[in-house]
Amino acid sequence: MSSTDTLELTEVELDLAKPFACVVWNDPVNLMSYVTHVFMTYFNYSKSKAEQLMLQVHHEGRAFVSHGDREKIERDVAAMHEFGLWATVEQGG
Amino acid sequence: MGNCGAGRLMAHAFERSITGKIIGRLDAVEQALLRSLLQQLAVLLHESDDGAAQDPIAQLVGIQDLAERPADPALLRLFPDAYREDEAAANDFRRYTEAALRAKKTSEADAAIAILDRADSKVELSEAEAKLMLAALNNTRLVLATRLSLTDETTLEQLLIAEQDSGGAAHLYEWLTWLQETLVRAVMRDETN
Repeated sequence: MSSTDTLELTEVELDLAKPFACVVWNDPVNLMSYVTHVFMTYFNYSKSKAEQLMLQVHHEGRAFVSHGDREKIERDVAAMHEFGLWATVEQGG
Repeated sequence: MGNCGAGRLMAHAFERSITGKIIGRLDAVEQALLRSLLQQLAVLLHESDDGAAQDPIAQLVGIQDLAERPADPALLRLFPDAYREDEAAANDFRRYTEAALRAKKTSEADAAIAILDRADSKVELSEAEAKLMLAALNNTRLVLATRLSLTDETTLEQLLIAEQDSGGAAHLYEWLTWLQETLVRAVMRDETN
């Protein structure tokens, strides 16, 4: 095996090991109070953690709100869509 | 994110009573207005339910053979892409989740209308009803905001000024925002205790 092949294999392995993340994006409609309520009820986060994530979405445009394997993150993103939040599946983070 | 003008919070549409019940005080005109907006949401959702979802087998397994990305921006906001840079993954996600998501949003809109139909001068909500009313209000605001082209660049204030006192769609949107804000606060009063 050439050194190039080894490098490529390592990159694939690293890629597979990366966790997925549920990212919630800022939008002009969802209320700050409602977003906090969603983070508290769905993820069971404390009020302070939920508010911190909500403020991150508000000020930075997005926040990584949960991490895990692809199956879990797709479930989380589907749940965010049920609540009307704008969420996507992202790799890494 | 959206916010609610502080002045409007002086009054409360929805409140949690001393006995812990969530009660909305909306007069007949306000109830009729809310019902008509929820009805428009329900019609949009019912109409978006295409042939694939009517196939009994597809309904049974909750998977659509062809779940197309909605062309209507309001529907796209209700059923957004779950992957930003991977069209195939986004399409797969849509095939497996959109039918159930549409069914949930449709049943919430229908249930919210049914709650208003049985209400008198007070709209009394159980915890479960308050949560589905919150979801239905949020979906209605998402659709209305898309129709108003309400983006981070175009603020609600600009739209309200343009409408003046005509009581147009931007004013309706602001009223719905106020309703939702009071409802979410009433619901959270219990969560934070």
